[in-house]
Amino acid sequence: MTAWDELVRSAMLGTERQPLDETMLPEPVRAALPADAGLLAAAALLTGYRRAGVVALRGIANTDPPAPADPRPLVPALASARLGRMLLGDQAGLLPEWLAVVADRGLRVPPERLPALAEAARTRPALRPAVLAAAGPRGSWLADRSEDWALLLEPQDDQPEPDADSWRRGGVSRRRIWLTNLRGTDPAAARDLLAESWPTEPPANRQALLAALRTGLGPADEEFLEAALDDPDESVGRAAALLLARLPGSRLGQRMADRLAGLVTVTRRRLEVRLPAEYDAGLRRDGVQFDAPAGVGQRAWWLRQIVGTTPLSFWANLGTEPAELVRLKVTGQADAGTLHAGLAQAVAMWPERDWANALLATATIELTDQQLVVLINSLPADDRVRALAGPLIHGRLDKLADVLRELAKPWPAELGRVLLDQLDARAGQRGLVRIADVVARSVPPACFHHPITARLAAPGTSPWHQRVVETLLFRRAMYEELA
Amino acid sequence: MRWSEDQVLALAVDQASVRAARTQATAGKWPESGSTPDVVWGLCQGSGATPYQVCVELAEPAFRCSCPSRKFPCKHALGLLLRWSAGELADTVPPDWVEVWLAERAARAARAVKRAESVGTDDETRAEQAARRRAQRTDRVTAGAAELGEWLADQLRHGLARLETDGGQQLHAMAARMVDAQAPGLAAALRRTASLIGSGRDWPSQVLAELALIQLLVTATARLDELPGPLADTVRARLGFTVDTNDVLATGRRVTDRWLVLGRVDHVDEHLTSRRTWLRGKESGRVAVVRGFAPTGRPLDDSLPPGTTLTACLAHYPDGVRAVVAERVDHPRPAIGAPPGDSIDTALAGYATALAADPWCAHWPMLLTQVVPVRQRTGWVLADPAGQALPLDPDADPLALLAVAAGRPLTVAAEWSAAGLRPLSCWDDDRPVQL
Repeated sequence: MTAWDELVRSAMLGTERQPLDETMLPEPVRAALPADAGLLAAAALLTGYRRAGVVALRGIANTDPPAPADPRPLVPALASARLGRMLLGDQAGLLPEWLAVVADRGLRVPPERLPALAEAARTRPALRPAVLAAAGPRGSWLADRSEDWALLLEPQDDQPEPDADSWRRGGVSRRRIWLTNLRGTDPAAARDLLAESWPTEPPANRQALLAALRTGLGPADEEFLEAALDDPDESVGRAAALLLARLPGSRLGQRMADRLAGLVTVTRRRLEVRLPAEYDAGLRRDGVQFDAPAGVGQRAWWLRQIVGTTPLSFWANLGTEPAELVRLKVTGQADAGTLHAGLAQAVAMWPERDWANALLATATIELTDQQLVVLINSLPADDRVRALAGPLIHGRLDKLADVLRELAKPWPAELGRVLLDQLDARAGQRGLVRIADVVARSVPPACFHHPITARLAAPGTSPWHQRVVETLLFRRAMYEELA
Repeated sequence: MRWSEDQVLALAVDQASVRAARTQATAGKWPESGSTPDVVWGLCQGSGATPYQVCVELAEPAFRCSCPSRKFPCKHALGLLLRWSAGELADTVPPDWVEVWLAERAARAARAVKRAESVGTDDETRAEQAARRRAQRTDRVTAGAAELGEWLADQLRHGLARLETDGGQQLHAMAARMVDAQAPGLAAALRRTASLIGSGRDWPSQVLAELALIQLLVTATARLDELPGPLADTVRARLGFTVDTNDVLATGRRVTDRWLVLGRVDHVDEHLTSRRTWLRGKESGRVAVVRGFAPTGRPLDDSLPPGTTLTACLAHYPDGVRAVVAERVDHPRPAIGAPPGDSIDTALAGYATALAADPWCAHWPMLLTQVVPVRQRTGWVLADPAGQALPLDPDADPLALLAVAAGRPLTVAAEWSAAGLRPLSCWDDDRPVQL
């Protein structure tokens, strides 16, 4: 025990019980200690002695190889300062874009910012790939040497990837994930495994696991799915039917086409429609729901589902172009709405350019947000602009937010310009916060000098308008600083 | 001795008064008038029913007239003086109203003199009072320190283990007493010690060290008069006697140099945030600390950014380390290019020297050259090429420094304390980085 340890022991016990033994103090301390000075005085001297006399640790060898050099140049100082502000919360939503531009231009993030970036990625998993790219070779070097660093980069959900054991013993969602993964590499094996355990699976499991077959769906799956149509559980059968409807050339598709042939007649100027007379066993087997939702006629509902699962080749065989077809007057037992709703479902399953354009261009066709996204994303860039710039925008600008969020980036410059024009024209309008936000963050760099950015805030301008300008200017500065 | 006409007219405030004075100087306007060697008086018939009472005390001269004119002297007083100058006034006993006025003047003058004298004595009293207050405070502090000394001795007799049972409550109580004794420095030290109780495995060692240093301060307080000047100033600073910044700017020792801002450490309290910014002079090699304060939540002064250099004149407090910026010669500029630093041994010797001057010095800056973070079983250390190393403070976040160094040696500025090194800034090749 050192002299200090002895002192601490005495102090803790109390000098009444354990008086100070001056002889164990180091010579210089003992010499400086006045007579009868007491334990605290000795401790004071010894503390000074210890603090002033600190000796460095010796023999510390740095055997660790340094991190591999990162040849990329550093981002400019202004950009680094901006990153600092973003990490503190200023326009933090633009962090993914900033990191993408940095990676794109072959630049390197200042290393002292990496811990804060990793912290941001810990709570926003979407950032993780970008942060790892930004960290470069340093990132893995750091992760190997510091638990804190490795922890910051670790996924939030620390569930390990499902393995073969998961299939036998996991919960249904893990099994579905595992099965889906297997479908990616060996669809036949996955189907065989599913078929094997099929008889013993409860209905809820069967419906969930069937969804895995959507990955790698092919003609080889048809037999299994046809058999599944007869499942005693209705929702399982319907799930199988939807998968078969998706499968090009399936027998179900042909059956639907045959039914539709008996219900629809196309002339040059009209489309005459008959509703299905009855809900027979065939319809039920092929996945058509019996009960219509509120506000929809029952037989119209059945027709809609039939149209929705009929391959588009049916219409081609009737000799009409999609653009013409949607314009035909609909007569008979159903109205245009029913027919078009069914067509929308079909086209969303197999997006084809002419069909997508035709549906999007017809203002009277009510597409769901999901259908809008699928259709628009399926189009080439120019068509996309035209589709959105069309009658859609004028009617439902405020409802487009979710659609636009899913739109593939980069957006065509023309699209950005049209949307910014629309927003600028409605500066005083309320309720446009969400779409304004999406547009401001998504328009390509070509739009950064749009006239809206020069607009000074006039009284009566909505706050979202100001935020659009701020966001555009922020992004513009971002790109300029990283040039 | 009668004045000449010119002397009288010289008193006029403007030409109009001169002209008016002449018109008033006719005997017909003055039903009564007279003079004595000290005063000239008369009744002047103006436009109203009652004549104006006019008199002039010649010594100053002081004028009095009952007319409504705002000029001083008015035309009546000047006219009277012109008549007196021309010898038209007879030597007679002044009437009562003149005597009354003279008496009032005399009384006013006496009062003014008395007031002037009493202001002089008030100044003295103020200085005396200040001295008395200082003496009073010194007495209170000395008494408080003595009481604390007794209490500490008592704690040591019974053993420090007892402190753990009440979670430092007694220490806080003594801290409150030290606040009453006007020794906030002792109070703060006691509160700091209280926060160490029960925290970590070697809290007894830390608490003993803190109490020992408090006892040292107590002893120093008792012998304050015997201590050499600089040490006495240090003791007073540690006790909590404040020095006015204006006094420092006026009389503090000044050092002009190119100062490198090594870094800063903030201490956030419930109410107050305090900041210490460490500076190092390029020519003098001198260390200085600049302190800033702000209510918690408000921004602190940011005029000394870490990793910059600026040419400035610093004025030092009596303790020789704390300083304020007296004069900025230029703006802070990024310190491109790693500054020449010290070896670990030199840096440790620097702290030892600082301790010799101020045994209570708990933090000291170090500028270490060519050190690299190395992982040890007990934590991270900064090691130099010769294999010597100093530990990093386990409470300081090392991640940013690790990321910059990435296994390569670099120049690091850090704050040293008993707990280890706290990195403040470093140089990534030539680029200064604030950590």
